[in-house]
Amino acid sequence: MEPIIRLENVSFSYKINEKTKVSVLKNISFSIFPGEYVAIIGHNGSGKSTLSKHLNGILTPDSGDVWVHGHNTKDVNKKRSIRQAVGTVFQHPDNQIVATIVEEDVAFGLENIGVPREEMKKRVDEALNVVKMSPFRHRPPHHLSGGQKQRVAIAGVLAMKPDCIVFDEATSMLDSFGRKEVLQVMRKMNNMGMTIITVTHHMSEAAEADRIIVIEGGQIVMDGPPREIFKHKLELENLQLEVPSVSQMAEVIHSQFNTFSKDIIQENEFIEEVEKFHKEEVGT
Amino acid sequence: MSSEFEISRSITIGQYVPTGSFIHRLDPRIKLLVFVILVVAIAFNTSYFGNAIGLVLSLYLFWASKIPISYGLSGVKPAIPFIVILAVLQLLFQGQLFSDGRVYVDYGFVLITSESIRLVVVSAVRFIEIIFLSSVLTLSTSTTELTHSIQSLLSPLKKIKFPVHEISLITTIAIRFVPTFAIEMEKMMKAQASRGADFGTGGWWRIVQRTKEMFPIIIPLFNIALSRAEDLILAMESRCYTPGGERSSYSVYKAIAKDYLVLLVGLFFSLLLLFYPFPF
Amino acid sequence: MTGRPIIEIENLSHTYMKGTPMEHVALKGANLYAEEGECIAIIGHTGSGKSTLIQHFNGLMRPESGKVIIDGEDLSKKKVDLKTLRQKVGLVFQNPEDQIFEKLIGDDIAYGPFKLGLPIKEVRERVKWAMDVVGLDFEEIKDRQTFALSGGQKRKVALAGILALKPKILVLDEPTAGLDPKSRKELLDKIKRLNKDEKLTVVFVSHNMEEVAMLADRVYVMAGGTDVLTGTPKEIFTDKEKLQHHQIGTPETVQVLYKLTDLGYQVNTEAFSVLEAAEEIMKVLAGKKEGSEHVQRI
Ligand SMILES: Nc1ncnc2c1ncn2[C@@H]1O[C@H](COP(=O)(O)OP(=O)(O)OP(=O)(O)O)[C@@H](O)[C@H]1O
Ligand SMILES: Nc1ncnc2c1ncn2[C@@H]1O[C@H](COP(=O)(O)OP(=O)(O)OP(=O)(O)O)[C@@H](O)[C@H]1O
Ligand SMILES: [Mg+2]
Ligand SMILES: [Mg+2]
Repeated sequence: MEPIIRLENVSFSYKINEKTKVSVLKNISFSIFPGEYVAIIGHNGSGKSTLSKHLNGILTPDSGDVWVHGHNTKDVNKKRSIRQAVGTVFQHPDNQIVATIVEEDVAFGLENIGVPREEMKKRVDEALNVVKMSPFRHRPPHHLSGGQKQRVAIAGVLAMKPDCIVFDEATSMLDSFGRKEVLQVMRKMNNMGMTIITVTHHMSEAAEADRIIVIEGGQIVMDGPPREIFKHKLELENLQLEVPSVSQMAEVIHSQFNTFSKDIIQENEFIEEVEKFHKEEVGT
Repeated sequence: MSSEFEISRSITIGQYVPTGSFIHRLDPRIKLLVFVILVVAIAFNTSYFGNAIGLVLSLYLFWASKIPISYGLSGVKPAIPFIVILAVLQLLFQGQLFSDGRVYVDYGFVLITSESIRLVVVSAVRFIEIIFLSSVLTLSTSTTELTHSIQSLLSPLKKIKFPVHEISLITTIAIRFVPTFAIEMEKMMKAQASRGADFGTGGWWRIVQRTKEMFPIIIPLFNIALSRAEDLILAMESRCYTPGGERSSYSVYKAIAKDYLVLLVGLFFSLLLLFYPFPF
Repeated sequence: MTGRPIIEIENLSHTYMKGTPMEHVALKGANLYAEEGECIAIIGHTGSGKSTLIQHFNGLMRPESGKVIIDGEDLSKKKVDLKTLRQKVGLVFQNPEDQIFEKLIGDDIAYGPFKLGLPIKEVRERVKWAMDVVGLDFEEIKDRQTFALSGGQKRKVALAGILALKPKILVLDEPTAGLDPKSRKELLDKIKRLNKDEKLTVVFVSHNMEEVAMLADRVYVMAGGTDVLTGTPKEIFTDKEKLQHHQIGTPETVQVLYKLTDLGYQVNTEAFSVLEAAEEIMKVLAGKKEGSEHVQRI
């Protein structure tokens, strides 16, 4: 299968001034395939946001290349189709909101890609419903609370229905219910075939993905399914990360009852394991 | 008593307030056109009578947009000190240029004549009219509508390779930026006040004090505004905005009879203000 | 806790853009009470008025109606010494970008101490201390530019800028949003130490229930601009009905325990840390294993 995004030896540094440069990404290569659900984790300042901005050409590498659907992000003529394919929700919602009315902001991207009006109305309504912001559609976005802005920012990208969405800590200011709702949306979109890339500091959120990429100092240090990644508890702790709390609980229990599996990353798995263990013990 | 930091509250330009009034529902292109011709006409009219008409007209429009007049006035309030200073300076120093008419005071370089008084009064009133009119326009027209209308009004110029799209975009961003700027300023003042800076001790009329307090926020404010502008452009680009690209539109614009009627009325007033020889 | 009231908020209301067409009621009749040395958490849905409420603590917003008394001073009076108040009450905004305004990180953190008129040596000491609390390296980062920071680094700088004021009351709006797991833990430990050892009063807004359970002495739940529920984390997180009614989340561990009780397991849901929860579950599992012996002991 053709990858939707392919990075080849990507290096990038920010120029602070004429003399100083901060090298952030170092020789990164990986591919994302259509339909994947990928979480990117790493400590503060490890380069996650910088990497995300490379995925649709907001930043372009100093050396190496990023290919989206086979187009190089350095190719100016392809910018638009690249961004139509890969949408980004930024870490900071204020930076994302363009228009002065919530619904017009959601429509902004659709106008740019020339969606006909009837269809546009439909998509705006849909996207606002999904993030539960319909009652706010006529409000000016700069007068919303932190979490409300974050929801509007998500709606703006959802409405564009790109092939792939990059969420850069898009749920950081949402309450746990809001976060669950957004996770469900991600799951649903992914089931409908959309590629999802999410940057997060919540390990339980990362455990939802099909694949985790761990970055440290601008390099990929681990890449694999969550179950594999979360087996490396110590390495993760050295990278200032952790394993989900259900995994931690399973490990504690495992140390007492060694038939209780410690290979657990999701809540429902944990519950199932308790049930299984319980039944077996009763059986014997 | 609310917060001394609610600056965005008194910025009426660039805020969109949906009230669903008759003015809101006008075709934005026509609205913009009428606005332009009215402002031009007002700018050229120097009679008391003409500006009285202009003032009444702009107040009427404000009223018709169903936006509380008090809100419009709060937009004029921060400008009052400047209008007053400007008026005094003009009165004191520009008399020599307008020495016609009856002479009231002639002392050293200070020459106050009926014409120089007219200049001062008319330009102050004119300023207020223009603030009101631009407030009505931006309060009743969303930025998206504005961009589309600027673009379509300028589109005939495309033939002579005039960068219509870019100009309309820049204008919109500029208008969009007025409230952003106010909000950034509010945030900056809150940030500094939280860490021990002094704000909000003097009333708005204490110009010197207020100005002095403003100095430490000006430079960081510009830095932040610049980086906001950069972010804004990035955000637009990352949602597929391409300068000069074809766009569809969220709202439809179709001028109907009532829009043309408004245009006619606007034209009438503009011509009146421009060419009618008002008695005083 | 000394039993001395330090924050008293009664029946507080606030309307944004009052008198304009964009008027929006954000607070109606909110109450909050904190004693000196207490650690209070404020939780609640997006838009429930949390940020608006805490901006009243240091006079960034003045009570429109209702009472705000901070350390004995009534903020609804016309004359309030705001400068002293704001030094006493350190407020960290929800959005770190809104808090940082200087070009260099060191300058930004030093802004507060300078405004206090401290000698340069002490300013430096405070900046060092504050950066240490949030886990930033002084030498490495003090001359870096503020815009050239990642999201999490910005949050740390914003926090340090307020800590450097050495406030008596520390008010934090989602202090750990965007921090990586280790930074989050370290910061929470430090806040806890400041609260316990130096008797700093802490009020924080959070969506992270682990954090609330770990830090807070008492919790206020906000909804629709008022406080709808208050109690210790234990009281809040064990009241299943109210949790559901107000759509309040719980720590992940509690969530697991609730699911187990739904399945008929007899676990105590008052376990907020991984270890406690694991032990709780092991009790049940062991109970089955060792059968009668266990029952007898109870
Ligand atoms: N505009 C910029 N100019 C210069 N350096 C920058 C800029 N933005 C980020 N950096 C630096 O690049 C590094 C990586 O930043 P990045 O924002 O990619 O981190 P991150 O992994 O997203 O972190 P976080 O979890 O805190 O969001 C950091 O050390 C940061 O200081
Ligand atoms: N400047 C403003 N002008 C008008 N309304 C505002 C403004 N700021 C906030 N609001 C509104 O007031 C309500 C309360 O906002 P507040 O920021 O206090 O919420 P919050 O509880 O902090 O939410 P979050 O968890 O999302 O940060 C929201 O409905 C919001 O839309
Ligand atoms: Mg980041
Ligand atoms: Mg908030």
